[in-house]
Amino acid sequence: MIKRTARWIDDRLGASSFTREALNKVFPDHWSFMFGEIALYSFVVLLLTGTFLTFFFEPSVTEVTYDGAYAPLRGVHMSDAYRSVLDLSFEVRAGLVMRQIHHWAALVFIASIVAHLCRIFFTGAFRRPRELNWMIGVTLLVLAIFNGFTGYSLPDDLLSGTGLRIAYSIALSMPLIGTWMAFLIFGGEFPADQIIGRLFVVHILLIPALLVGMIGAHLAMLWRQKHTQFREPGRTETNVVGSKLWPTYAAKSMGFFFAVFAVLAFLGGLVQINPVWLYGPFEPQQVSSPAQPDWYLGWVDGALRVFPPWELRAFGFELPNPFFPAVLMPGITFALLYAWPFLEARYSKDHAVHHLLDRPRDHPVRTALGAATLAFYAAMFFAASIDLLAKWMRVSVHTMLFIFQVLVIVSPIVAGWVTYRLMKALQASGADRFGHMPLSALRSPPETSERS
Amino acid sequence: MSGRARILLLLVGIGALLLPACVYFQGQTERYSPPATPSATARTGNELYARDCAWCHGDQGGGTSRAPDLVTGTNGPAYTHFMLTSGRMPIDFPTQVIKRSPPAYDDQDVDAIIAHVDSLGATGPPIPDLDPAAGEIGLGAELYQENCAACHSTTAVGGALAPGTARDISGTVARRTGLVAPSLEQSSATETAEAMLVGPGTMPVFGTETFSEDEIDSIVRYVLYLQDPIDRGGAPIGRIGPVAEGAVGWIVGLGALLLVARVIGTRTGDE
Amino acid sequence: MGLGFGASVVASIGLTALYALGGQPQLEGILLGVSLGGIALGLILWGEELMPSVPFVQERHDLPSTGQERGQAEESFEAGAELVERRSFVGKMLGAAVAALGLVALFPIRSLGTRPGPSLYRTPWSAGARLVTVDDEPVLADGLQVNGVLTVFPEGHTGSADAQTLLIRFDAAEAPDLPGPLEWTPEGFIAFSKVCTHAGCPVGLYQPQSRELFCPCHQSVFAVMEGAKPTAGPATRPLPQLPLAIDEEGYVVAQGDYLEPIGPGFWSRGRD
Repeated sequence: MIKRTARWIDDRLGASSFTREALNKVFPDHWSFMFGEIALYSFVVLLLTGTFLTFFFEPSVTEVTYDGAYAPLRGVHMSDAYRSVLDLSFEVRAGLVMRQIHHWAALVFIASIVAHLCRIFFTGAFRRPRELNWMIGVTLLVLAIFNGFTGYSLPDDLLSGTGLRIAYSIALSMPLIGTWMAFLIFGGEFPADQIIGRLFVVHILLIPALLVGMIGAHLAMLWRQKHTQFREPGRTETNVVGSKLWPTYAAKSMGFFFAVFAVLAFLGGLVQINPVWLYGPFEPQQVSSPAQPDWYLGWVDGALRVFPPWELRAFGFELPNPFFPAVLMPGITFALLYAWPFLEARYSKDHAVHHLLDRPRDHPVRTALGAATLAFYAAMFFAASIDLLAKWMRVSVHTMLFIFQVLVIVSPIVAGWVTYRLMKALQASGADRFGHMPLSALRSPPETSERS
Repeated sequence: MSGRARILLLLVGIGALLLPACVYFQGQTERYSPPATPSATARTGNELYARDCAWCHGDQGGGTSRAPDLVTGTNGPAYTHFMLTSGRMPIDFPTQVIKRSPPAYDDQDVDAIIAHVDSLGATGPPIPDLDPAAGEIGLGAELYQENCAACHSTTAVGGALAPGTARDISGTVARRTGLVAPSLEQSSATETAEAMLVGPGTMPVFGTETFSEDEIDSIVRYVLYLQDPIDRGGAPIGRIGPVAEGAVGWIVGLGALLLVARVIGTRTGDE
Repeated sequence: MGLGFGASVVASIGLTALYALGGQPQLEGILLGVSLGGIALGLILWGEELMPSVPFVQERHDLPSTGQERGQAEESFEAGAELVERRSFVGKMLGAAVAALGLVALFPIRSLGTRPGPSLYRTPWSAGARLVTVDDEPVLADGLQVNGVLTVFPEGHTGSADAQTLLIRFDAAEAPDLPGPLEWTPEGFIAFSKVCTHAGCPVGLYQPQSRELFCPCHQSVFAVMEGAKPTAGPATRPLPQLPLAIDEEGYVVAQGDYLEPIGPGFWSRGRD
């Protein structure tokens, strides 16, 4: 029956030779090449669960009095948006599990993008001819972060509403255009009526459309250029070694999709996430403690906390404090990320085509810089929870703050130096695995000529 | 992994555990023994007060350099009842952190001490008469969100406060240790109302000038609800929000999938 | 493998039954997870079985097109471009038309928002405005006890995000020590804007023992006795103080709006 359908389609489209090429295409199947698939399949889960949610969510700030199944909030005034999320959570069959799978999928989606980005970085897979795909990938990360933020701000609950107020202040802090930016995005002074409706359009239409398009381009380029591979026996710069798409790779990849969906389903049913009924509806004069954004914005929130109370003021104009940690720093972050393949090519004078991957030790400077960068963002990320850490350890919040201000400066230096020494030692020792390297290798200074 | 790498990992692990422990313990100071020796036969409020409270709070409850007075402001029956039944008092030395502990006295002794403090001329509110079941839970939710959630969290898990380096009411410089707005998960209905009425420690006073009895009943009813809220979504993982969720998402979610990838994919060196 | 797929079928049947019976989130998650996981297990194991004993090798072709292919593509483009280049004036006019339309197409963006104008410099507070709580109750002079705190708004603007104000009560005996002009703090009342001057969160935590206001978002601390000056954390400016008075009927009222813009900074904040 499959053969008859295939012939029917081929009669009309003539796709047989493409099909043959596709089915026989070889993909290297190292396990670290699957991180991108986690992201792709989480995205599919987001689309599926998200579509369900759009049928029930009401993107309106019209005030209503709650009279639904969640008894503790009966009689309370709230926006229709918040009310619709309560209905989804307590009255729509499978509504809560869909909401939770959707939110867990968002967290895993961005986490896997970061893991994937690290794999690409530390193996040098961004080098020619893949610079363009790297830039598309960075764009996907930015879009995913924005979509996550707009998504969890839709329920108009107290926690995400506080985050929106901070976002508004960050927009305000931009020089020259700040007040216009804030008023145009929000539709007026905070909390303008249009914001939930606009976030809805951005979240379900604009960014997903961009994501789908760019993911398509990302995969098309991967298909055309063929995947990279590690330097192993039989692998060269002019071949690709692995499994064929059909049947092996397709089976394992499809299986992986179901595994991703299964893990998200287990989380969605068993572990509570974003219980907005406990946070309460957003009111501009209310706030809760602790107050953190979702993890992928933790680095910005942490930066806002640790950046000292510095501001620039002259002639009645000012660059307010939030501008530096929340606009300038992320701007530089993504500018550097975009530029990295070109910066590295210029510094290392390596403009050759590369289809074989580096091991991290093959490029100690790059690996050390990457480790230092991760330490920097990790320090800011953990700094977003100084109030929780202070509470648990019964220490002053400002002691915690000081510790992280120090960590943000010191940990990248330490991480970079330690990583550099470790990579050089690994190189020199010739051990095939980190765990097989004798500690004595760390003592001997690097002697081999450096390919940095 | 080689033996040496194992030792290195062990040392790093121990170090990682020691660091927070060191930070925690540096907040404690040396012990201070009260002058009086405990008497097993102390039973009247007078005797209990003289034995356990007077050396810090003064013979007539007028306060000393070690502790504030017990008779002015909101000090009185409700405040004393709150401190004693939640075990926050008595403490062993003046700079000890004041927090919930197993109560030191039974109900009879508590009543006796309260009566004694009252007899010293305390001006504060009496122990409140509550009926949480008569409160409206929706109203309680609104009032809680408006007045309590900022410090105690929308989920009543409590939160960090500013360290309070300024001089406190007793005139002593507060030590620079962490202050918290405590979790409400173990507070009784009476304790909750008492805390509102007296504003213990650094908590503001939310008294009868601003809240009616019905409003207090409603807030207490909501607080009692938060002690066992509806966690329809599954394991509540602490109800602290995105921090715990992010940890679970990375460790459990991504972690599980990395393991699956490791099983499905090849490793370098496989053939 | 068969077990995996079989488990999946059973779980799917279970899910159907559960759904018909009204659903329950934890069971839905578990059954869905088993249903999907069973397929995952089956497919993965099957894939393992289908792994080739010797991996397949495919040649990479040079990615850049050959010189000849490039030349042919360029020729095709030139053939058409030449015809266009001959009418250079018309081409330039087309460019001008597209550019102008592009500019006009940006205008609808302006419809997205109101102009900032004076709104960031003003709040609804005005002279004589009574302070009301979120329940629209006006505040009497004996309506807040010492060491109490209330969130208040100008009457008629309850819930206004920029007018939100903290009203704190001190003992009248401490009035001389309170910051700001004496006539702003009648009977021990003092009021500050609740909007944090760092990133706009409500500064919801008041600690009477140390007279500090604490913002939960980024841990800024404001010392009330020093005019709500920031003493720790990232905030750089004090919370503006609202001038208060007690009217003849005993209600607490404002004497006017804040003297400076409330909340976080912006480019032209100093130029009202």
